Amino acid sequence: MLKLHNLSKVYRTDEVETVALNSVNVEIASGEFVAIMGPSGCGKSTLLNIIGMLDSPSSGDYIFMEENVAGYNEAKLSNIRKQNIGFIFQSFNLIDELTVEENIELALLYHNIPASERRERVAHVMDKVGIAHRAKHMPSQLSGGQQQRVAVARAVVGDQAMILADEPTGNLDSAHGQEVMEMLQQLNEEGTTIVMVTHSPAHADYARRTINLFDGHVVTENLRAAE
Amino acid sequence: MFQNYISVALRNLIKHKLYSAINIVGLAVGLAACVLITLFVRDEMSFDTFWKDADKLYRMNTTFNVPGREPFVTVMAMGPAKGAIERYFAGEVEAVTRFNNEWPVIEYDNKVFSEEVYFTDPETVDMFSLDVVAGDIKQSLNDNSTLVVNESFAKKHFGDKDPIGEVMTLTYYATTRDYRIGAVYKDLPHNSVMDFRALIMIDEADFENFPWEYGHWFSVNNNIFFKLKDGVSIDALNARWKDFTDTMMDVRDQIEPGTNPSDFVTFSSQPLLDIQLYPAGDGEMKPTGDIKTVMIFSAIAGLILLIACINFMNLATAKSTQRAREVAIRKVMGARRGQLITQFLGESILLALIGLVLGIVLVEMALPVYSDFLGRELTFEYSDGTTLAILLGLIAFVGTLGGFYPAIALSGFQPSRVLKANKSAETSGSIMLRNALVVLQFTISIGLIVSTAVVYGQMVYGQNMDPGYQKDNMLVIRNVGRSGMLEQQEAFKQEVLRMQGVNNASLTSGRPADGNESNSSVEIPGNPEAGSILLGRQGVDHDFFETYQIPFVAGRAYDLSRGTDGTPSSEGAKEGEVLQGTVVVNERTIRRLGFGTPEEAIGKVVRMGVGDDVQADLSIIGVVPDINFQSLRQIIRPEMYVMSDSWKGNLTINFNGDAQALLSQVENVWKRMAPTVPFSYEYVDQALAEEFEAEQALATMLGGFSMLAIAVACLGLYGLASFTAERRTKEIGIRKVLGASVIDIVRLLIWQFSKPVLVANLIAWPLAVWGMMSWLETFPYRIDTWLLIPLCLFAGFIALMIAWGTVGGNAAKVARSNPIKALRYE
Repeated sequence: MLKLHNLSKVYRTDEVETVALNSVNVEIASGEFVAIMGPSGCGKSTLLNIIGMLDSPSSGDYIFMEENVAGYNEAKLSNIRKQNIGFIFQSFNLIDELTVEENIELALLYHNIPASERRERVAHVMDKVGIAHRAKHMPSQLSGGQQQRVAVARAVVGDQAMILADEPTGNLDSAHGQEVMEMLQQLNEEGTTIVMVTHSPAHADYARRTINLFDGHVVTENLRAAE
Repeated sequence: MFQNYISVALRNLIKHKLYSAINIVGLAVGLAACVLITLFVRDEMSFDTFWKDADKLYRMNTTFNVPGREPFVTVMAMGPAKGAIERYFAGEVEAVTRFNNEWPVIEYDNKVFSEEVYFTDPETVDMFSLDVVAGDIKQSLNDNSTLVVNESFAKKHFGDKDPIGEVMTLTYYATTRDYRIGAVYKDLPHNSVMDFRALIMIDEADFENFPWEYGHWFSVNNNIFFKLKDGVSIDALNARWKDFTDTMMDVRDQIEPGTNPSDFVTFSSQPLLDIQLYPAGDGEMKPTGDIKTVMIFSAIAGLILLIACINFMNLATAKSTQRAREVAIRKVMGARRGQLITQFLGESILLALIGLVLGIVLVEMALPVYSDFLGRELTFEYSDGTTLAILLGLIAFVGTLGGFYPAIALSGFQPSRVLKANKSAETSGSIMLRNALVVLQFTISIGLIVSTAVVYGQMVYGQNMDPGYQKDNMLVIRNVGRSGMLEQQEAFKQEVLRMQGVNNASLTSGRPADGNESNSSVEIPGNPEAGSILLGRQGVDHDFFETYQIPFVAGRAYDLSRGTDGTPSSEGAKEGEVLQGTVVVNERTIRRLGFGTPEEAIGKVVRMGVGDDVQADLSIIGVVPDINFQSLRQIIRPEMYVMSDSWKGNLTINFNGDAQALLSQVENVWKRMAPTVPFSYEYVDQALAEEFEAEQALATMLGGFSMLAIAVACLGLYGLASFTAERRTKEIGIRKVLGASVIDIVRLLIWQFSKPVLVANLIAWPLAVWGMMSWLETFPYRIDTWLLIPLCLFAGFIALMIAWGTVGGNAAKVARSNPIKALRYE
């Protein structure tokens, strides 16, 4: 699916140069479920943003589906991103002024899909995550778990091949957290590649592989034994 | 505490530079516009208030009721009216005086020139508190060979010499007399409807052979003013004008039996203080203003200020989200709501104060141009108590209005919610209010654009209107009817006709757009029921129609080779004789007389008086279309083009080629033939265009202030757009992550601000159309009402483009920013 080769990211301000990622080499195959772990400030989110093409690397190569996208401009990246990648955030990031349905539909609005097909797909995905009965509600009327389910629905409604989840359970209690993890697991079993940043070792266990970062380096990669 | 407020306020100003700049600049421009308009309005309102007895002075206006025509109103009255008022209103009126202008030829120090002089009565001195700087004005105006002049007249002709005692020789009508300068008065200020540079006592004996000046009851040449006695109410006097007319107007022998003078003439009084702002009719000493203009511009001043205040309010509420935390913390620390309201109102007033200071700088910068445009010296007096009070009031008003809503909204935040949730503390109510205010701003702006376009359109239409005759390459030489040239005007015409480039020339009584009223009454022989019909009259010669290129609908023009053409002279005719002649009329005359089609009218006869008990039967030989000879601003009257030996004052030259060269040739001939008569000329196209000068000025001023209004509204929109973009950062981030391109985001933001502008259009259009249609109704000839539709669309389009231009740049900047920053703010 993707391959990072000698990838580095350096943030510069006037006085300080911060190395967020230092010659990282990561390969993620299609259909994998990968967890990224590490202490605060180790570069997890930077890595995820670069994989998600929301940020560009300072040096190195990023080969995404056999294309080196490291030097692509924003319009090109945006195009690849909307075709292939879905996002789930810790803070859900739903738009407060739109209903559940409209929030999910938003992901299809920029894909040139006819309205009837959009409605169909939104309805289907709402059923799948069990939020259909809340279709007309505003995000503020939902619990955290429900909001995150809407976010998951939004991430997959466009049939994205890969989902990037940035601490998807960070704002949820354990019961709701587990619900979301099970949903991700199910998506993975259906063939979606999932890359997830998390602090929770328990949730990392849902992944088949865990990448541990420390100060911008990949320190270990653990492969969970098949059960 | 107070110091804390001040320092927070100042730091906020500095921290939010864009916000502060927009607010201060917008307010400064709004206030400057407001102050400039107020200066103009106050000046208009100040007219003639400086006269000592201003509230007791009235002018007599005259209305002629001509059957079949609009009543004709003039602010002048007849010479005999003075004596009539003195006798009839002896108990009410203290004094009456007349003003009648002439342009006598003046000889002084071996120079010959012409100056405007007002003939007046001795009572003027007691009625108008003229500021005399030298001599005895009372004595001077009681003497028929003394001239009273103002300082600039004295300066112009006598330089630094003492003017008192200098002698000038004046010639007018049959009189040539030496006049001694008897008194000098200070120039009248510009804020007076009175405008005279020199005064001479009326000696009616000098005008015995020219009775139309002071003797005739049907000839109006005088501005007549009267002063009420103490304690007399004008209403009591006004109620008696009709009886005055029938009792005092000695015209029984000139009107048909069974009718009264009051059937034809209505008198009315107009307070001196109302003259500037309530134009009543023709014949003012100088052009007056109009209360409508004053009200229009007062309204515009208010609207611009409103737009600036709305900016203030909108930006302050929009920004309030960013200060929610400060409010919450202050509340937690124990601030009461009242204290917070005081704080935010104080900040708002501080901002308004800074805006005012900048605004005054703008006023000072604009004042010279503005004064120049208005043609009067306007100054901004800081020391004046009223001005100071108005300014301080304005600050308090703007500061409070702009700060009140934000102060209430901000101080109402719930600290626990703000501190915990860290989310937008804004209510949907405040967002709605803000949208409503933006709609209001753009409604005003669009309305102003439409109004400007309509006024401008009407002006262009009027200036380019086809008057029905040739107006380009037409030069009018005036004064050819003045003694010195009158006797040789035909020879002068022949000299001009010989010049190169001259196609034709014609001597006429009037000239295009002079608005002069001259009428004759006619009867239809054999049809006594028709009675006497009043028709407008222009004195022309046989070259008139050819010179002005006026086509004929039926019949022919005057032909000199037929000895019988034209109106015969009464000279040598016996009493009661009816002479024969011919006449050319316009189409309206045919309709008025009921003569059928123009072809049918040819050969029909009207009877007109041509002298004492001598009449002429004039058969119609030609009918011309209705042409706007008298004025483009009046409905065309039934008009006869009479060729007779009556007085003619203008020579119109139809030429081609270099106007300047021709003009100097004509002037040379003039100087040779009539050195004592001032040479004066105008071009027909310019004279016609000048009829719309008032509209031109109105359009320019409207345009200028509309632009200011729009600029201020746009400043506000720009500020609002930046705040909105900030507020929607998260949403924009999400949309971008989901694949929205920069274009998508820009479109989203622009659409958000297009909606209020579109709504504003829907409100502004009907309002503007309604207002402009009633304005246009004051013109007999006006642009097509349907034209308002494209003008509205055009204004809406302009407003939308301006709004897009304002919002677009900001939107693009926001849309290009990296979404991850927006999404990770927790």
